[in-house]
Amino acid sequence: MDALRRFWARISEWRRPGTVDADLSAELQSHLDFLIEDHVRRGLSPADARQAAQRELGGLEQARALARDARGFRVADAFVSDVRLAVRHLRRTPGFTAAALVILALGIGANTAIFSVVDAVMLRPLPYAEPDRLVSVWEVMSEGLSAPGMAAQAAPAQRIAVAPANLADFAARLKSLSSMAAYATVGRNLTGGGRPERVLAEEVTANYFQTLGVTPVLGRAFSSEENTAGRERVVIISHALWQSRFGGTPDVLGKTVRLGETYEIVGVLPPDFVALSQPGATEEMAIWLPIVYEPSSLTNRKEHIVQVVARLAPHASVESARAEIAAVSEAMALEFPEIGRVRGDLAPVRADQVSDVRMMLFVLLAAVGLVLLVACVNVAGLLLVRALSRRREMAVRFALGASRNRMVFEQVVQSLVLATAGGVLGLFLGWATTRFLVAVAPSSLPHIQHAGLDARVLLFTLVTVLFTGLVFGAWPAMQAARVDPVDALKDGERSVTSAWVVRRRSTLLVAEVALSAVLLVGAVLMIRSLVALDRVDLGFNPANVLAASVALPPVPYGTPEARLRFFESLDAKLKQIPGVSDTAFGNRLPLRGNWSSGMLLDADPAMKEAGFQSISPGYFTTFGIPLVRGRALADSDRDGSAGVAVVNEAFGRALLNGADPIGHVVRRGPAMPAITVVGVVGDVRRNGRTDDSGTRAAEVIPQVYLPAAQTALYPLPLREVAVKTMEGAAGVPEAIRVAVSSLDPDQPVTTVRTLDASLAIGAAQKRFQTSLFVLFAIVAFGLAIVGVYGVIAYGVSQRSAEIALRLTLGATRSGIVLDVMRRTAIIVAIGVSAGLTAALLSSRLLISLLFEIAPTDPATYALTAAGLLIAGVSAGGLAGLRATKVNPITALK
Amino acid sequence: MSERTDVLQGTLALMVLKTLQTLGPQHGYGIARRIEQVSEGALQLNQGTLYPALVKLEQQGWIKTRWGVSENNRKAKFYSLTPRGARQLAAEESRWSRVTSLVGRFLVEPAGDA
Repeated sequence: MDALRRFWARISEWRRPGTVDADLSAELQSHLDFLIEDHVRRGLSPADARQAAQRELGGLEQARALARDARGFRVADAFVSDVRLAVRHLRRTPGFTAAALVILALGIGANTAIFSVVDAVMLRPLPYAEPDRLVSVWEVMSEGLSAPGMAAQAAPAQRIAVAPANLADFAARLKSLSSMAAYATVGRNLTGGGRPERVLAEEVTANYFQTLGVTPVLGRAFSSEENTAGRERVVIISHALWQSRFGGTPDVLGKTVRLGETYEIVGVLPPDFVALSQPGATEEMAIWLPIVYEPSSLTNRKEHIVQVVARLAPHASVESARAEIAAVSEAMALEFPEIGRVRGDLAPVRADQVSDVRMMLFVLLAAVGLVLLVACVNVAGLLLVRALSRRREMAVRFALGASRNRMVFEQVVQSLVLATAGGVLGLFLGWATTRFLVAVAPSSLPHIQHAGLDARVLLFTLVTVLFTGLVFGAWPAMQAARVDPVDALKDGERSVTSAWVVRRRSTLLVAEVALSAVLLVGAVLMIRSLVALDRVDLGFNPANVLAASVALPPVPYGTPEARLRFFESLDAKLKQIPGVSDTAFGNRLPLRGNWSSGMLLDADPAMKEAGFQSISPGYFTTFGIPLVRGRALADSDRDGSAGVAVVNEAFGRALLNGADPIGHVVRRGPAMPAITVVGVVGDVRRNGRTDDSGTRAAEVIPQVYLPAAQTALYPLPLREVAVKTMEGAAGVPEAIRVAVSSLDPDQPVTTVRTLDASLAIGAAQKRFQTSLFVLFAIVAFGLAIVGVYGVIAYGVSQRSAEIALRLTLGATRSGIVLDVMRRTAIIVAIGVSAGLTAALLSSRLLISLLFEIAPTDPATYALTAAGLLIAGVSAGGLAGLRATKVNPITALK
Repeated sequence: MSERTDVLQGTLALMVLKTLQTLGPQHGYGIARRIEQVSEGALQLNQGTLYPALVKLEQQGWIKTRWGVSENNRKAKFYSLTPRGARQLAAEESRWSRVTSLVGRFLVEPAGDA
C-alpha cells in the first residue's frame, strides 16, 4: 500500500522535475541560511559564518542529488541521461555507427518484410464476417477412380471440385453447416459503355455473399430466383470496377453491361472485398454473376465443377463438421452408386488457402531470423572493440565506486539506441522490400497484395528491435564490465587488452560462421532443387507454344460432330496466322488439365488406368513429341474408319510387361468400341515436371491418344487449341481471338497462355522461396566473411610490431600470411562444423520445399563447407597480407 | 558506513515524527537542530541524510509541507504531521518501547540467579 502510494507520488513528481528541483534547491538554500544566521548569532563574522556553515554541511550538490534520488525514479532518470550519453558517443564515431546501422537495418528490415508477408497471408483476419467460422468444402477422389469434368487443377493430391448434385444433398443433410454457397471462376469479355476489357468473374449461388457476411455498399445481393435460366441477367460489380468504369456514381444501379449478353447491374461490393476464387492473383475479380447450372449438372454426380464455401452452424466445430460430412458422404455413396469413391471433406478457409505455403513462410521466417542473428553477432563484435577502448575508463569508474550493473546498463542503453535507429531505417527498408515481394510473389500466396506496415507488423518490428538491442548489446557489455580494474589500469600494453578482444571476437566469429553455414546449406539445397527441376524431361517442347481454351456452349454445339466441325474450321484458320508453323486441338493439352480413366486391354477383364485425350493429327508436331514406332494419327482416321489410337512408351512398359503395344486393342468399357493401337510416341509429363507434392519428379503415366475426328470414341468435349509459332512472332493471341470470333462472335477465348508461362506458374513458388533464401544466405555469408576479415585484420594490426620484428629477423611474407591463414582456418573450421551439425539437425524442415534432393545431401554439405572455408581463409589471408605490407621501421618505433 | 546509516534511517523517521508532534510545524533546519539538542550532540544530521528522509515521509503521506516564514522572517519550507502520520507515530512509539524494554531486559539480566 505504502509502496504504491510512493510510486504514484514519484510518478507525479517525475513528470515535473524542474519545479521539484527548484523547490529542493530553495529549501536547501534556506537551510544553509539558517545555519549561517546561527553562526553569526554566536559571534562569527558573516564571511566566516558562511564558510563554517558550508564546511559543516558538506556538498550542497551531493545533498541535492541524494534528495532527488529519494524523490524520483533513479532508473528512469539514469535512462534518459544514458540515452543522451549514448547518442553523443555514437556521434563521435560515425564510421562504427554507420556500419552498425547498415547491418542492423538489413537484419531488421528483412525481418519486417518477411513478417509483413506472413501477416498478410496468414495472420490478418480474412475480410469476411467471423472468418474463423468459414470453411472450404471439396470432394476427394481416392486412388484408381476417374472423374470426368473439371478437376481442380494444381490442388492437393486427388482433391476435386464439388458436383452440384452432391452439393444439394450436402446442403440438405449437413446439420453442422448453416449455409453452403458455390462459386466458379470464369473469364468474360466486358463490352459496351467504354472500351472492351477482359475481366475475371465469379459465378456464384445467391447465398454466396450472405454466407461470407458481406453486403453490397450499393444495391443488393442476388436472389435465389436469379440462379435459374432466363432470370440470370444481373451482375454485381467490384468497387474498383465501379470507380474505373462507371465513375463511382450511385446511378450505376440499373445500368447495363455487355458480357456477350446484356446484364443489369444490381449491386456494388465494398472496396475491401476479396473474392474467394483468386485470393493471390494480381488480377482483381471484377464481376459476380448468378451461377446457372446445366440441367445435367443437377443430376450427374460426376460433374465436379464448383468450389464451395460454407459457414459453420452456431454450435458446430470444424472437427464435428468434418466428421459429419464424412458420415453423410458415406451414406450418399451407398444411396447413389455413381458417386463411387468420391467423398466430401472440409477445412477452415484460412487453413485451406495457406496449406501450400505455410511451410515455405515458416522456413523463410526462420531464415530471416538467422540473418538477424548474424547481424547481431556482427554488431556485437564491433561493440567489443569499442568496449576495449573504454575499458580503462570503466576501470577508473569502477575503482571510484560506480556499480557494475550501472555500467552494464549504460552500455545496454547504448545498444538499444543503436538498435532503435537501425530499426527505423529497417522499417523503411522493410517497407520497400515488402512492395518488391508483393510484386514478385507467386500467385499461391493469398492476400499478399495487402501486405504492408500495419499495427501487428510495427509491434513485431518493435519486439525485434528490443530483442536485437539486448542480444548484441548485453553480452559485450557484461564482458567489458567483468574487467579487473587493477589489471585494466595497470596494463598500458595494448597487446594484452587486444588479446582480450580477439579472444571474444573469435567466439563471435564461430557463431557467425555457424549461422551462415546453416543458411548456406539451405540455399544450396534449394538451388540444386531448381537445377534438378529444370533437368526433368517434359517429353514435349514447350517453347513457343501458345494455347487457349475455347469452351463451346451446349447451344449450338450440343453434339461431338458440331464441336469437331467448329474446331476443324478453327484449326484451318489458325494455320493461316502469320508466324504459326503448327496447330493442334484437343480436349486436353499438356499442362492444361488432365483426364485419366479406367480401360480394358485386349481380353483381360481387369480395368487398367491410363490417361486419355482426343487430339488432332497436328498435336505431335506442335508439341514436339517424337514418334517411336508405327504411325502417328492421320487425317484419314475419321468416323467410319476403324478406331485407332497412339500410345506412349510407358503404356507398353507399365501394362504389357514391356511388349510392343502395336496391334493391341483398348476399350473404354465392355460395350465401347474397340480401339487398335497403331503407333507409339515418346513419354510426356503431362502436368509438368513435379508431382502434386512438388518434391519429386512427376511419374510418367500410360497415355492413350485418340483421333478427335473419331467422335464415337470421345471421352470429353473438345476445348483446347494450341499453335506453335516461329521465334518472336507477335500478335498471335489476338489473332486467335479474331479467328474464333470470325467463326462465332459470341464465343469467348480463355486462358490464352504460352506453355512456358504455365510451367512458370507451377515453378513460381519454388523460384520465389529459392531467391529469397539465397538472398538471405548471401547476406549472412557476406556478413560472416566481412566479420572474419574484420577480426583477423584487427588481430594482426595489434600484432604489427611482432610481425615487423619477425620480418626483420628473416621471416618471409608468405610464411606470415600462411600463419595467419592457418589461424583463420581453425576458427572458420570450428564454425563450419558447428553450422553443418545444426543444419543436419534442422534441414528436415526443408523436405517439403525441396525437389529430388535429400536434406542431408552430402555434396551440398561438402560444397558449403568448402565455400565457407575458402572464402574465410582468403579473407584471413588478405588481412594477413596487408599486415605484412607495413614498414618494419615505423611498426617497431 | 552503510550500516550506521541504516540504523539511523530506521529511527530517523520516528525522531522526525516525534519532533513534529512536540514542536508543531517546523522547517528542516529546526528539525535537525532539535534532534541534535535532544541527542545532546550525539547525532549530527547532515542535509544528505535529513532531506531524503523527509521526502520519503512526505511520499508516505505521514507529513505534509507548506512554504512559510520563520520567526526571524526567513522564507522556509515547513513540515507538519498529518493525521496518518500521528497514527503512525503512535504505533511506532509503542513498538519501539516494547522492543527497547525487551532488549533492555536481556541486557540487565541479573547474574547468578540460576
